Amino acid sequence: MLRVRENRRDLSRRIEIGRIVVGAVFALLAIAYWYVQIVRGEYYFTLSENNRLRSVKITAPRGYIFDRNGVALVENEPAYNLQLYRRETRDLEDSESFAVGVLRLPPEQVRARLERALKNPEFVAVPIAENLGIEEVASIEARSPEHPEFAISISQRRLYSHGVVAAHALGYLAEATVDQIKAPQSGYAPGDWIGQKGIEATYEPLLAGVNGERRVVVDSHGREIAEQGRTPAQPGQNLFTTLDLDLQRIAEDYFKERVGSVVAMDPKTGEILALVSSPSYDPNWFTRRVTEDEWTRLTTDPHHPLQNRAIQNAFSPGSTFKPFLAYGALAAGLVDPDARVFCPGYAEFYGRVFHCHNKNGHGWVNLRDAIKVSCDVYFYTLGRRLGIDRIAEISKSFGFGEPTGVDLQFEKAGLVPSEEWALTKRHARWYPSETISVAIGQGPVLVTTMQLARALSGLLENGRLPTPHLFLASQEARSGNRLRYKVETKPGTPLAADKLAIVKNGMWAVLNEPGGTAFGSRVRGVEAGGKTGTAQVVGKESGLAAKGAYADHAWFIGFAPVEDPQMVVAVFVENGGHGNLAAAPLAKALFEKRFGVPPPADTAAPGLLRASNAQPGSPR
Amino acid sequence: MISRVLSARSRFDPIVLGSSLLLSALGILFVASTTAGGRLAGLAARQGIWVAVGLGLMLAAILFDYRTLLKVSFPIYCATLVPLLYLLFFGERIANVRSWIRIGGFQFQPAELAKIATALLLAYLFENEDDGRLRGAAFFKLGAIVGVPFLLVFLQPDLGLALTFLPLLGVGLYFGGLPLRGWIVLILLVAVVCGAAWFLLKDYQKQRIGTFLNPEHDVLGAGYQVRQSKIAVGSGGFFGKGFRSGTQSQLRFLPVQHTDFILAVISEEWGFLGVILVLGLFAALLLRALTLAQAARDRGGVFLVLALAGMIFFSVVINASMMIGLLPTTGIPLPLVSYGGSSIATTFLAIGLILGVEYRRFANA
Repeated sequence: MLRVRENRRDLSRRIEIGRIVVGAVFALLAIAYWYVQIVRGEYYFTLSENNRLRSVKITAPRGYIFDRNGVALVENEPAYNLQLYRRETRDLEDSESFAVGVLRLPPEQVRARLERALKNPEFVAVPIAENLGIEEVASIEARSPEHPEFAISISQRRLYSHGVVAAHALGYLAEATVDQIKAPQSGYAPGDWIGQKGIEATYEPLLAGVNGERRVVVDSHGREIAEQGRTPAQPGQNLFTTLDLDLQRIAEDYFKERVGSVVAMDPKTGEILALVSSPSYDPNWFTRRVTEDEWTRLTTDPHHPLQNRAIQNAFSPGSTFKPFLAYGALAAGLVDPDARVFCPGYAEFYGRVFHCHNKNGHGWVNLRDAIKVSCDVYFYTLGRRLGIDRIAEISKSFGFGEPTGVDLQFEKAGLVPSEEWALTKRHARWYPSETISVAIGQGPVLVTTMQLARALSGLLENGRLPTPHLFLASQEARSGNRLRYKVETKPGTPLAADKLAIVKNGMWAVLNEPGGTAFGSRVRGVEAGGKTGTAQVVGKESGLAAKGAYADHAWFIGFAPVEDPQMVVAVFVENGGHGNLAAAPLAKALFEKRFGVPPPADTAAPGLLRASNAQPGSPR
Repeated sequence: MISRVLSARSRFDPIVLGSSLLLSALGILFVASTTAGGRLAGLAARQGIWVAVGLGLMLAAILFDYRTLLKVSFPIYCATLVPLLYLLFFGERIANVRSWIRIGGFQFQPAELAKIATALLLAYLFENEDDGRLRGAAFFKLGAIVGVPFLLVFLQPDLGLALTFLPLLGVGLYFGGLPLRGWIVLILLVAVVCGAAWFLLKDYQKQRIGTFLNPEHDVLGAGYQVRQSKIAVGSGGFFGKGFRSGTQSQLRFLPVQHTDFILAVISEEWGFLGVILVLGLFAALLLRALTLAQAARDRGGVFLVLALAGMIFFSVVINASMMIGLLPTTGIPLPLVSYGGSSIATTFLAIGLILGVEYRRFANA
């Protein structure tokens, strides 16, 4: 025993060292924990909060869109979507074949979506299909015990209640594009639906509202355990448009078989009562995810249905240009309204013969009659006297050559030629003979339907050009508070009333006197004025038959009542032929509807829109 | 003599006994915290049963003369190797590893018992090896004693569990008095073997070892565990989130939280204070054990206490380091605290043997 104790000195020393080692290791561990828990504590605390808290978006219901009388144009409806929860599935292949087989979904779609989703964490639902029919929903619900991985989610889908009606004014919703998501302060995420055109795009922030958020506690499987708080969504505001669905319908019907556009507008305020561009499209296609077929059809259609012709396509105004020039010349004192010009059916300027549309000639015409019968020779003469730069000045004072400022995207400015334009833009000298063409609205001068409606408003409203708009008022969904559009007009030079009266009288005669170019479209029950126009697609000299794609474009601009105009209409029918026959009847129908003229018994049926030429004589 | 027997209660060292009891109570508490309500509910009660079993074993170990045990340590050692061999050939794979024997509703890891037996045999070796220096024969005996069970467990293949035999080797080499020259040779030898093995290993094996050593690269597997564990520990801060209020543990972001990662749960819910409590109790237990070793009446007792304390020390340090990513995740539980019958029972057995050495300090042979 003693021997043992004696030999223990070394061992004892080693144990002492061992004690120091144990103490040091525990001290080091404590320091390490101090570092993680105290020094880095806040960092890890944030991470643990991020771990357990998830933000779930509450999509704000998008505001409805109404016409001016409160008829719903755009609403929301529930849509049923199919989602797959990967963590619930026993066999992904089996789930896939169920989706393909039972729901008759395209296999490539299901496969592609599953593959895209494999990158995401398991608890994120995989969208498989949208807009299921009620039978499909039922068949999935029936088999949910076998396939718990599938769930039906309900979302709000945009519904354009009247299909193609007012499609270009309303626009459509589609998934945000990459550029839209990347735009500064966009706040959009992939998969968000946003307004892409029309009112939906212009008033996107108003209609969209502000999305809310739920903060939920989740476990490590992403299962929701509890809700910690929520910021409710602010619903989008309802929007009342200036459109009048009744007028819009008439215009849509008229354009069913035609290509072109129409704008009906209140000349005082710029409120757009009807806006049609034809051919059109059904905005509902987009919210149901356009199929490739539909998309190709839309984009390859030679008439470009997606384009809003009323603001995006500019054409020569033809004779609708004449009243503006007539007033301009009168105001400038360059023409005596009573001075008469002899029209033999043609005239020679700068060594070239220019024909009147009436080969037989109009005989002696003064300014008023020149408007009424649309005498080209009279206006050739007038144009030569004005010169191109004064014509440009007059055009610009009526807002041609600049966007109207309508609350729609992608508006074109049109073109007002001048000597300066010829030199700087065309790089070719302006020929005086070109002025002769421009005087009757041909040649390089280009206007949109919207510009014509606005210019006519300016002519009728003492030079004030209203800003055309579709926004009438917005309404907060909760409070019902309304916000009205503040009418904007571009103040113009006040017009000389006596001179204006002559032009207006000429335009009245167009519709109301025998021999007027639109006498056939005389409006019953209300005094209307107007002007026809025909934009040549090919020159009369080209020798090509003016038919089909070479047929003239038909224009008509009109207003009523003559004494105190409440509505102006600008109609454009591509390859429609003569303005009187192709364009004026729509204006007549719109005026009659707007001013409450009951349709005559014999033409009450579909024939309503085809105004007969056999109207009895002027009631005046 | 009689007076000594009567004062036996005072010879149950209060520090070792007290800290062990407190730690196992903490264990039951936190097993309850993390398993309540779920499909694991009731584990705390089981843990309680295991602690009771452990206390029984402890008492038996105290009262049974350890010197008798040392004398029969070789047969005991061999007996505990049998189930390890059995497992190797007939073992049922649980979590890819053949390290569990299932008896009734309970699972048991025979390797845990083998550790105790190895410690006993080691102590017996040094009982007779009373030279100040570790000689060649003793060195190889020591290597064999620890090497055999290590290899058997390593082949299960449970690397983590096998590693827990290494502290026994360390204790033997250090306290047995391996000279500096010996340490240098040993380290060089290990380096050469490791280098050679690296060249012989196939790529996928290297990759596995790489993942083991650097789990942060394996974000969804081991890396995920370490990350979640660090978040749990760090987010606890100084005072913790409160008992049963740890989001990482209660929402199950932590892996195997009631077993290997229970210290992360304590860290999250009781904060740095909880960690200091746990580490403090272990430090008290181990430092006291060293004192007891110094005071042991014979060389066998000294080495028995050192070997058992070394094992506990090693597990605590590895486990605590694992929680904060200082060491790779190896599946080593926190002694006395982590859920698990074999671990609890054998640790109490070890504590009992340590206390037994103290208990018999003044007894005559």
